[in-house]
Amino acid sequence: MAFGHYYSLCQRYRGRAVEIITHEGSVHRGIIGDVDNSRVYLQPLNRTRDLGGFSYGWYGGYPGFGAGIALGSIATLALLPLFFI
Amino acid sequence: MNYSYLDCLSLFGVGGAHPGGLKLTKTILSREYIDQEKSILDVGCGTGQTSAYIAKKYRCSVTSLDNNPTMLKKATQRFSSLQLPIKVIDGSVEKMPHFDGLFDFILSESVTSFTDVSLTLQEFKRVLKPNGVLLAIEIVLEESLSEEELKTLVDFYGISRLLTVSDWRNLFQKAGFKQISINKYKQPLDDNDIDTSTDFSLSGNIDEKLLEILEKHEHLTKTYKDKLGYYIFRCC
Repeated sequence: MAFGHYYSLCQRYRGRAVEIITHEGSVHRGIIGDVDNSRVYLQPLNRTRDLGGFSYGWYGGYPGFGAGIALGSIATLALLPLFFI
Repeated sequence: MNYSYLDCLSLFGVGGAHPGGLKLTKTILSREYIDQEKSILDVGCGTGQTSAYIAKKYRCSVTSLDNNPTMLKKATQRFSSLQLPIKVIDGSVEKMPHFDGLFDFILSESVTSFTDVSLTLQEFKRVLKPNGVLLAIEIVLEESLSEEELKTLVDFYGISRLLTVSDWRNLFQKAGFKQISINKYKQPLDDNDIDTSTDFSLSGNIDEKLLEILEKHEHLTKTYKDKLGYYIFRCC
């Protein structure tokens, strides 16, 4: 999908929890903190250490919003239905 | 530092931290007659998402109360950036200021459960007008749990105890509410549009320990999915 599509979607979803899957197949769950012309920056919702065999390679070594995900690498982006009481 | 579930909500700045989110809030309010003359108290207002919605939509008098400094700050920021004339009160629902008979509606969105319920309901009755309405969305114990399971939930969420529907009904009656209508909230299956998705106002860098709490919460939610329910109570 066109780059502009994910840019405007990320703008619209700023402050929301999303799951992004990239073309390489990595999965990122986090809250959209910021978006610029080329990247979207997430506050991760999972700890950096591996949980149940999952590995979020991109988070390794990057605290907080990290290095961001290139908008061009996004394959799918969906809102996460989180539940709070 | 040891964080609690409520710390987690405040540092993540979870807006609409109750089952159903803002969408359910809108539905519940749409069933009431609310004009500009009405006065509404939003207890445990959190980041102020609901209060802001009410003030914009109904243009009535809105008072928002919370006792968490982080939440109060986030709510105040939200209201001033939207230029909404909402009164923000730093206080506890168990012992409110001298608001006797002031409000037409009180909204408690998963707030009363986290307090001493009897005390809080007495306070609600006191600050409501004689025909005032309490609208509450609260957690309910649907099936009996072992002592150990109950302790896990009560300790994690920091609630005094889990109440069944009939416990809630009795407590409402004891506090002087005469008409009590009770509806179960059914979580929609395709719960992923922007109106139901949670809005976050993050406090700077998030400590890994908060992520741990979030994970535990997700785990408990899944484990007790069929044993805990969420109900909408309308009392007057």
